[in-house]
Amino acid sequence: MEFITFAESTLNLLGFVVGLILGIFAYIGFRNTGSPTLFRLNISFFSISVGFGVVGFGYMIESLVLGYVKTDTWIQTLGIAIQTVGYFFIAFSHGIKSFFPKSRYFKSIMAPLFLIPANSIEHIIRSISFILLVYGTIETIMSYMENRNRNTIFVATGLGLLALGEFLGWYSIVFPKSVLYFISVSTKIVGLGALFVPISQVPLRGGPRFGNNI
Amino acid sequence: MAITYRTHMSIIGDILSTTRDEIPDESGASVTYLIRKANISYARLSKILETLVSQGLLEQTSSERACKYRISEKGRDFLQAYRGFREFADSFGLRI
Repeated sequence: MEFITFAESTLNLLGFVVGLILGIFAYIGFRNTGSPTLFRLNISFFSISVGFGVVGFGYMIESLVLGYVKTDTWIQTLGIAIQTVGYFFIAFSHGIKSFFPKSRYFKSIMAPLFLIPANSIEHIIRSISFILLVYGTIETIMSYMENRNRNTIFVATGLGLLALGEFLGWYSIVFPKSVLYFISVSTKIVGLGALFVPISQVPLRGGPRFGNNI
Repeated sequence: MAITYRTHMSIIGDILSTTRDEIPDESGASVTYLIRKANISYARLSKILETLVSQGLLEQTSSERACKYRISEKGRDFLQAYRGFREFADSFGLRI
């Protein structure tokens, strides 16, 4: 197993663990309060976790168990597609609070994100993830403007880093054999870590469960 | 400025907070007092109070003149958990 494949697998497995912890926390919150917002966050983080897990475990199994020299790209595509579902739920939990400008200048910036990678499903998915994450970041920054909650800055930073990670991953089409993918996954892990900060300030305790009865 | 409506959960949080922190006397808060503090209609409050009592979050105490409501130990736990998760959702710019 090459070092770079091993490092990528490890980082993806780290992402799996971080996403899983965030998902479990949101799930506890949902079970305690029955809140649909926490349910969406729960789906979101579990999807992100499973997405990282598919890539991490997929690479490990192919390299260590099946002994493949070159890992299959469909694993990567599947993992990223599952993560995109998670990013979708984060982005659209906000509702439509802002609108996209309709200027052609704006379209000229956004269009290449869809047009350039048209030959690759993986890169289309990455583009969608990137846009969803940028949308989520902007909405979170706007929320910070309203509530001035310090933790919101960490969440905005986390989503921004996840977006940057997706962008770097998408950009690795230009330099397929470079360390861009490794940097992309590392950036995404740091981003997930930043999302962890708000959790560290909430006391985790059993408490009563009420589910949807309230 | 955009109008933001309270969610059902935040109304419950307001009611529980009132019965915990702002009750006028030991026997609890009256319906009139809760209507004023939680700022909701009688019909909606009645339904929520019924649910909260059946779930064991509020205790109903009957005085000579009217029913009063007091937060239970389970309600205190719920309120604490609710505030923690509200803080979590706030961090994402979301409301629970």
